[in-house]
Amino acid sequence: MRAEALKGHLDGLILATLKVGPAHGYAIAQALRARSDGAFDLPEGTLYPALHRLERAGVVSSEWSTEAGRRRRTYSLTRSGGRMLEERRSEWRLLSNAIESVLA
Amino acid sequence: MSWIGEFEDELRRRGVRAGARERLIAEFSDHLACEQEMRLELTRLGAAREIAGQYAEELASDETRRSALATFAALALAAIALIAGQAELSRIGYPGYDRGASPLLVLIALALTVVGAQVALVCGTLAAWRALRRRREPSLPAAEIALIHRRTRIGIAAGLMTGAGTLLYVFNFIDVLPAWWLALSGSLTALASGGLVAAWRADARSTATVSVAQGPAGDVFDDLPPLRGLRAHPLRLVMLVGLTVGVAVTAVVWHAEHSLIEGLERGGFEVVALTACFALFGRAIGARR
Repeated sequence: MRAEALKGHLDGLILATLKVGPAHGYAIAQALRARSDGAFDLPEGTLYPALHRLERAGVVSSEWSTEAGRRRRTYSLTRSGGRMLEERRSEWRLLSNAIESVLA
Repeated sequence: MSWIGEFEDELRRRGVRAGARERLIAEFSDHLACEQEMRLELTRLGAAREIAGQYAEELASDETRRSALATFAALALAAIALIAGQAELSRIGYPGYDRGASPLLVLIALALTVVGAQVALVCGTLAAWRALRRRREPSLPAAEIALIHRRTRIGIAAGLMTGAGTLLYVFNFIDVLPAWWLALSGSLTALASGGLVAAWRADARSTATVSVAQGPAGDVFDDLPPLRGLRAHPLRLVMLVGLTVGVAVTAVVWHAEHSLIEGLERGGFEVVALTACFALFGRAIGARR
């Protein structure tokens, strides 16, 4: 799937991935690819600006950890991130139902 | 040049602060190391320059919005300080124009206070409103970011002008008004001015990150849809706002001072001041082309 098609949905997808548990950037990219059966093959670099943006908005938090001698930033969903995820889910259901009705 | 090197160069070129730059570099270095462990021959990160550019644009937009909202808060505190001082002064009674050091000084002080407070209110509110209205946009066009900064800075400068007017008033009546009021008004003004200087510095810091995103700046008619019909007629906009404010001020002063002449004088001053401010700042704040 083209990265362009994911525009506008990336934030919700990241939040849904973090709902499972805290993860670092690479793990989030892997989870997105795995959970979409490889359909979401976006340039993974775009994840990091999105993660920083979500953190500035207070919907994810992050902290440094060290693994195998490498510094790694691990992201978690905050309480307001959980609320935002629910909003995004509702919006998506409305949109997908409407599109389905028109296309069917 | 390596992917990381190209990415870092672009971040630096876009003015992204050292702290944010270092954090991103560490995250991307970790990502690339993970890819190597997975034996991926080509990175799936995407184009370094594009990603750095996207990051800078989003950061510049966020910081600009934050600065506009912080400025609005600083201006609101300055307004509370001004109102508190004026409320106490009205309780103890305004001194006559000729009782202080110089009537000319009083007129300058009042003009600075009255005009400054209104320009600050309009510009600070427009900047904050645009920041709120566009809060869901990940990145704003560079022209729009510049417009919000101009509104913010004119608002802060006008707020400081109001403070200068108050201090001039205090200085003029230093031998006439009670010491406690002079101390109260002086210290509240100094406190409010400190907040405005801090807001100015924060705004200056937020302009360090460069956005080159294309798109229109928008204008005051985008912010206030009911006025859209006046977009092509800026003179009508001035007349509408000027007359509304002029009539309101005349009515309020007439009622408060029991003098229609004084009401008309103050109302007339409002109309002249508003027209002059529109001519001076209208283009900068997106009220006319």
